[in-house]
Amino acid sequence: MTRRAALASAAAAVAAPPLARHAAAFTPPPGERPLFGARIWSLPNGMRVAFAPSRRIPVIMQYMFYGAGGGEDPQGISGVAHYMEHMMFKGSRNVPNGALSQRVAREGGNDNAFTSRDVTAYYQQVEASRLALVMGMEADRFAFPLFPADDMEPERLVVLEERRQRTDANPRALFREEFQAALWGRQHWHGRPIIGWPDEIRAIRHADLLAFHERWYAPANAVLVIAGDAEEGELTRLVEQHYGGVAARPAQARDRPAPPAAPPERRLVTRSRAITEATYLRSWVAPSLTWGDADHAWALEVLAHLLGSGQGSLMHEALIETGLATSANAGFDADNVGAGEFSISAIARRGTAPEALEAATDAVIARLLQGGAEPERVARSIRQITAGALLALDGIGAAPRLIGNALASGLPIETVEFWPARIRAVTPEQVTAAARAVLAAPRDCVGWLLPETA
Amino acid sequence: MTGFSLPIQVIDLPGGKIWLVEDHSVPVVSLSWSWRGGAAPEPPGQEGATSLMAAMLGEGAGDLPARNFADALRDDAINLGFDGQRDGFEGSLRALRDALPAALRLARLAMVEPRFDNDAFERVRARALAGARQSLETPRGQASRAFWAGAYPTHSAGRPTGGTPESIAALTIPLLREAHDRQLRATGMLIGVSGAIDAASLRSMIPALFAGLPEGAPAEGPELPAFEHFPRRVVPMAFPQSTILFGQPGLAVDDPDWEAAQIMLRILGGGGFSSRLMQAVRVERGLTYGVSAGLDVLFGQAIISGGLATENGKVGEALDVIQAEWRRMSETGPTEAERDDAIAYLTGSQPLQFTDSRRISSTLLALQRNNRPLDWLSARPDRLNAISNAQLAALSKRMLKPDGLAVVVAGQPTGL
Repeated sequence: MTRRAALASAAAAVAAPPLARHAAAFTPPPGERPLFGARIWSLPNGMRVAFAPSRRIPVIMQYMFYGAGGGEDPQGISGVAHYMEHMMFKGSRNVPNGALSQRVAREGGNDNAFTSRDVTAYYQQVEASRLALVMGMEADRFAFPLFPADDMEPERLVVLEERRQRTDANPRALFREEFQAALWGRQHWHGRPIIGWPDEIRAIRHADLLAFHERWYAPANAVLVIAGDAEEGELTRLVEQHYGGVAARPAQARDRPAPPAAPPERRLVTRSRAITEATYLRSWVAPSLTWGDADHAWALEVLAHLLGSGQGSLMHEALIETGLATSANAGFDADNVGAGEFSISAIARRGTAPEALEAATDAVIARLLQGGAEPERVARSIRQITAGALLALDGIGAAPRLIGNALASGLPIETVEFWPARIRAVTPEQVTAAARAVLAAPRDCVGWLLPETA
Repeated sequence: MTGFSLPIQVIDLPGGKIWLVEDHSVPVVSLSWSWRGGAAPEPPGQEGATSLMAAMLGEGAGDLPARNFADALRDDAINLGFDGQRDGFEGSLRALRDALPAALRLARLAMVEPRFDNDAFERVRARALAGARQSLETPRGQASRAFWAGAYPTHSAGRPTGGTPESIAALTIPLLREAHDRQLRATGMLIGVSGAIDAASLRSMIPALFAGLPEGAPAEGPELPAFEHFPRRVVPMAFPQSTILFGQPGLAVDDPDWEAAQIMLRILGGGGFSSRLMQAVRVERGLTYGVSAGLDVLFGQAIISGGLATENGKVGEALDVIQAEWRRMSETGPTEAERDDAIAYLTGSQPLQFTDSRRISSTLLALQRNNRPLDWLSARPDRLNAISNAQLAALSKRMLKPDGLAVVVAGQPTGL
């Protein structure tokens, strides 16, 4: 499932110039209505603002996006962007340590933050009349965060526990991390874990956080998204009042080196005592809307659906209906900053030899590359990917996540507002061409996570 | 002060009642419906039958084999799901308004004329088996299994709702048909609806959704016994971090102290950063990424349960801190300021439960399952504000058992 279809997390970013060439080339068909109808404007200090109205309920969400994520961690100290996110809760000039979350809770709201490879975002959800309160606090930590040195070590312990919980005590997550490193390189921005390698988390210094903040948390690199029940004139005034005074600083371009010409490892086989089900992964370096031949990016989203989206997809037919596997999936996200990744995965059914599953998967891909994508399958995939686009309006969380992620990644808003039209414009020939460009190239890695006894 | 709630309409039908929140701002409709039953009445050895039956309802019905049924849903972006729970069985549906008639037709077909084709059954059972084994790959999965087995050793609540690898392997299509017959009945269902639909349309559409189900109400299982305290259990697993689960008896959902318990547990272990447990375990000591404790409702009873994960060497310290916080709350109750903050949160956050149609319909369903009156949400702030700190202290003393916490640790803990 694509990121947009899942209406989930965040991604994508890079500075504007190369992207304009890539992604903006699409003009929506006449009469096509934007999905969210967001209004977008900029403050004199360079901060961009988007407002996606939704008046169903008197609730409002504020999302503060910065165009920097784990991909911007300095060389050799992975985890800085994420550690930074934790430390942003440790107080600012007018808001004591921990008080932001407490005040939001006191008002009946929720708040949190997340770090992806491409962005870092902080958000609150509150009853609509509390917007000024959360704006005041978010603006304060934007302009004047304290990063108290005394909190560095306790918070480092928390981050290390978070890493253990998400990765070290989860054999599948641990394997995925090693797999990414095999495909991209342990020190490549795409091959490092966003939370950081353990020894590098331990090495992060206070000065690293200050430098990261100085470089990336500038108004010109920030996107504020407000979604929900607000009056536009009042909102415009509040934004100017709270964020207009944040001092302008020059924006820095991202530095996202190209992937290695060949993956450091083409094959990774790991045996684990904790694992009961043999799991197969394969990923290829792929274009995205911001890197490589961006024309392929939308077609790859259709390809992922056609290949591995459950009932009716090629992998389901070849692996699940034949009894070789219990699950089979394909995935691709076009809205990535820098090089992207096309991935497939399957869990072998008990009794299936890994070689048999792998051979059947290879055969699916070989047939697809040779015969091309069948027009009926492409049409069905396009229909199923786009049919539920309007469901994103049910709830107020999808709009700010998608819009903020795109803008903070340097993508034009059309990639969000008109994504169904963009998917519908994909042709079978384009899907075939994208498949041949990506899946036939030796820029891939195969991974097997096996039970110790198998 | 009144609580935020959208107006709830009640529609009486021959088989049951519908609670509806009508809202035409977005062209989407969500329905949630449930019966009592679920895994509870499963005969021994057939654990997971209801859950697997639920999965099979989406695998072909009427003259539509699995693939065609899936396409019929996905071509129109219809989300249809069935869930066999430990004490009930739930159906849920979300569709664009234009696709609602088709969605209801498919939902009825799935419930009334499921195919239970052999190839689909083999596939779905293999997936369930793999899932049951895979759920035990992590400390979290192992700890959860051990915790429930310890708390309810003689009842279905103590066994995994989805079944064990052994029980799933023994399931057959006839056993799933039996589970279907036990569960999907023409009466006893509760229904919550939200979105772009009015009461008159619903009244005319809903009877068809359940038309053809056999008469009578679903089978119910044995009553839930009392939560059983058990000595600390350690499940050895070779990971650098342990998962800890802890719990104790709670109270019935119709207990007069229900709202007081919500306030007190919000203070002790509620979500976010503000709880005593989060402050003591994470913020002050850096022992975990997250810790929480709260009420978990099953069979009309709530237990208090909580959990966290911490480095193996710190399990003892984390447990000591949790027990100390449990004791402090039990002995002295919350402060006035804590009470005020918790009530402010619980009342102020009510609108947040109404942001999307699925959330609203499942809230409407939960209110009915807990047998709440129609004005439960709108009258809630008044109920909460009427609760004094003395009441909270008395409840804490009566309910919290610092020396009676049942604890499971999965990992390689040291210093216990």
